[in-house]
Amino acid sequence: MIAAFLETAAPRGANVVLALEIVMGIALLLGAWLARKRRFRQHAWCQSTIVLLNFAVVAAIMVPSFRAHVLPRIPAKLGKAYYALATMHGALGTITELAGLYILLSAGTSVLPEKLRITKYKLWMRSVLGLWWVVLLLGMATYTRWYVPHLFRK
Amino acid sequence: MFIAGLAAALVLGIGVFGTGRKGSVTRAQQTTSATEVKIDNFSFGPVTLTVPVGTTVTWTNRDDIPHNTVSTDDPKIFKSKVLDTDEKFAFTFSKPGTYSYFCSIHPKMTGKVIVQ
Repeated sequence: MIAAFLETAAPRGANVVLALEIVMGIALLLGAWLARKRRFRQHAWCQSTIVLLNFAVVAAIMVPSFRAHVLPRIPAKLGKAYYALATMHGALGTITELAGLYILLSAGTSVLPEKLRITKYKLWMRSVLGLWWVVLLLGMATYTRWYVPHLFRK
Repeated sequence: MFIAGLAAALVLGIGVFGTGRKGSVTRAQQTTSATEVKIDNFSFGPVTLTVPVGTTVTWTNRDDIPHNTVSTDDPKIFKSKVLDTDEKFAFTFSKPGTYSYFCSIHPKMTGKVIVQ
């Protein structure tokens, strides 16, 4: 996997973010398994840490990159895979992260008023986990399109 | 026997000499006097460009993904915006020297302009 990273044209930061996101995706699955085993405290810690860590990565690295490289070219260049993949990843990723934060606030704190809190936890959590993995796969596709030479050429 | 040895030495000599010339041709091709650098398939071409003082060098992105051109000097002598397909960036080199540059989106893409 490290050798595959070195063969791409990606800067080190992009490689670190990709590795981190893959680890976070796997950790979320592990967190879901903890809930199935009824170890809810560990489940809460695991999922909350990942949602907050991802928020930091998105705010510090992904949003500035998106603003610099993608935002000035959309919607005009959305027909190109380079921009379309990044835009889909960004849009769906924002919804997923916000949903994750909402679950965290609703289930883990008493910040939200009673009527705004979730009642169907399982449905929300499973939906966000599914969306998270769709976003992760879109992120991998974006990385591939941005940094892997020859892949889309004959 | 002596003639055979001489012939073998000549053949080997030509072989070695030939290899040396091939190497110098390759180097010559890399240092053309063209004033355009094409960006394609995650690389700058030619990688090294030699130009006289006062030349305007134009980088054209022929790749299907965005790239840019940023000098490695500090402070930056030149820095293009992000160039989409078929977009260009030009810079005039008014002082002699060796100017290394790279694509900040794909930092492994590097090139050099030698101004004489």
